[in-house]
Amino acid sequence: MTTTANTTVPATKRDPKEFASPLKPIWCPGCGDYGVLQALYRALGSIGRPAHEIAFISGIGCSSRIPGYTTAYGFNSVHGRALPIAQGVKLANPDLLVIVAGGDGDGFSIGGGHVAHAIRRNLDLTYLVMDNQVYGLTKGQLSPTSPKGLETVTSPLGSLEEPINPLLYTLAYGAGFVAQGTPADMPGLTALIEEAIRYPGFAFVNIQSPCVTFGQEEQQIRAHKAHLRPLAKLGHDASDQLRALDVARSYGKVLHTGVLYRRPDPPPTYERLVRERQAALAPKAVDRLRLLDVFLQK
Amino acid sequence: MRELIDGSAAIVRGALDAGCDFFAGYPITPASPILMQLLRELPKVGGVAIQAEDEIASIGMCIGATLAGRRALTATSGPGLSLYSENIGLAIMGEVPLVIVDVQRLGPATGGATTVGQGDVQFVRWGTGGGYPVIALAPSNVQECYSLTRRAFDLAERFRCPVFLLTDKELDMTATTVEIERYERPPVRAREVLAGVARSAAGAADASVAIADPPPYRYEPADRVSPVAQYGGDTLVRFTGSTHDERALITKAPAKVAALNEHLRAKIEEHADEIELVESDLDAGARTLFVAYGVTAGALREAVDRLRHEGRAVSALIVKSLWPVPERALRTALLDVDRVVVAELNHGQYRREIERLAQGLEVRGVNRVDGELITPEELMEAAR
Ligand SMILES: Cc1ncc(C[n+]2csc(CCOP(=O)(O)OP(=O)(O)O)c2C)c(N)n1
Ligand code: SF4
Repeated sequence: MTTTANTTVPATKRDPKEFASPLKPIWCPGCGDYGVLQALYRALGSIGRPAHEIAFISGIGCSSRIPGYTTAYGFNSVHGRALPIAQGVKLANPDLLVIVAGGDGDGFSIGGGHVAHAIRRNLDLTYLVMDNQVYGLTKGQLSPTSPKGLETVTSPLGSLEEPINPLLYTLAYGAGFVAQGTPADMPGLTALIEEAIRYPGFAFVNIQSPCVTFGQEEQQIRAHKAHLRPLAKLGHDASDQLRALDVARSYGKVLHTGVLYRRPDPPPTYERLVRERQAALAPKAVDRLRLLDVFLQK
Repeated sequence: MRELIDGSAAIVRGALDAGCDFFAGYPITPASPILMQLLRELPKVGGVAIQAEDEIASIGMCIGATLAGRRALTATSGPGLSLYSENIGLAIMGEVPLVIVDVQRLGPATGGATTVGQGDVQFVRWGTGGGYPVIALAPSNVQECYSLTRRAFDLAERFRCPVFLLTDKELDMTATTVEIERYERPPVRAREVLAGVARSAAGAADASVAIADPPPYRYEPADRVSPVAQYGGDTLVRFTGSTHDERALITKAPAKVAALNEHLRAKIEEHADEIELVESDLDAGARTLFVAYGVTAGALREAVDRLRHEGRAVSALIVKSLWPVPERALRTALLDVDRVVVAELNHGQYRREIERLAQGLEVRGVNRVDGELITPEELMEAAR
């Protein structure tokens, strides 16, 4: 296994095809998640780490199927719990590149409570949310990112609730890397995923990934192509957290793509602090703590 | 040599001696002392201990850490166990070795946070959807908090499943004098890790690490327990909470689903004898058999001594492996008696299991749910 942080990896590129598993995706034809998967293969190709150094953790949902379609260690776990499991994996073996993926329901409804804590702990994880503003797997129910007023099978008269804003949410909790992309811009999305993986700390990418079966017209690839506003072209300064918050406020109204915020001075990751503490304490420790043995020998 | 020690400290020591190197938990009385001690001790031995944001995350982190090669422990009480529920199912389905301590307090809901209870006995057995067998051990004193923690780690590896250690507020938080020489130290097996095609050095290796090759599970014969395929190991293992085949690929094919589910049952139920652990104190002429477990066993030991001192013949069986039910030992103990008295700090949860085995005998319960312990006198009274 190679080095520690995701950033300090040798830059030998790999063929993106190496990361495609023999399993064929069973998403609906035209689902945005196909594009996300391709972008992911390419990003992993550029990162250059072999499959056996990568663990891919997801919850439950159409989007959470993604680990099965990649060659890596994987876990299609339970709805909303990918982040705690991924943190356990990373803490147990910080050398693994750990990628977490899932839907907006998985991440911001049932699993929403875990996001803030994953951010404040700041393990070196990459969190990809395929935000389609609807529940795909369970057939079209209201999601926490559905716009107010949306009619779905569980909001037959239109929803009365404001959506969660994933960009504001993650920025407000202090995420060091926050970006938004769409498979309508494949090179852009690939670059964002790669950058997120390289960021040494918790990195969040909100991916507007259309649900062709239950999603709205305005959320499809064609509409994305017509309306996307790349931040790079707007002269956005991604090192400025306040500007990032300002951009994030237009989530749901303007489709900004690119890096909203990249902390210029990333703090040490949690796993690094843990290792440092272990190293500092080791000399004082009883040898592999045969506690009782030690006691009895006295 | 003697020491003054409570159950929490004994559990912590048992875990460390068993090679536990990962702990995640959330504060809750009366399980917090385990969390507090491991947060202090584990980093010293290269382990990781973490206070999670809630119990769902605690057990989730433990599952993740185990997949990446650690020996994990978590500890909680009834309200937290409720939150563990879904992930207990995940650990059963993914065959993740894990030790879960439930320091029982009086329920339901918040109940009596600082009062003793034994109300989670059936809850640990049936605490997740689907209804699959689990293993649960119940120490009956502080020494056993140590030895059964070791045993729990051993069984978790042997059967690749979550193993419960069911204690209670009194056992964990009351310091007792213990003869150090009287600690039993059952062996704890190392994890058997799935070996695949050996990897060559540095990077060129990846070609030999293939998806689910060798397969991470085997269901033939049904009770066979496979070595654990870990993240970072020789097979690109996938875990899933869904029904899956031997390669961990999701399937709905009835024959494969049946093989998986029969395996999850058989690997434990068909080895119940291997798990069985009781303290059997049978008196040849006894008409009455007492059954107890956990903290209640203390009162039973004393009651039996005093009754015998009075010249009365009584038998006692202290159950230390609650699940699966130690049927072999129970049937033997039931052979020559007319009457069974089951003592427990709930409305008679384990009595149901005894009634099942004691057809035709009189089965009575001595029960308390007022936050107080059952006394030896109450048991002696029941023998008359
Ligand atoms: C505890 C639990 N509750 C509910 C479900 C049912 N369920 C599965 S996926 C899902 C929502 C899927 O939506 P999302 O997470 O946005 O992913 P998508 O399918 O849109 O990619 C729900 C409600 C479940 N599997 N587990
Ligand atoms: S239901 Fe929607 S999200 Fe699910 S596969 Fe189909 S298009 Fe994709």
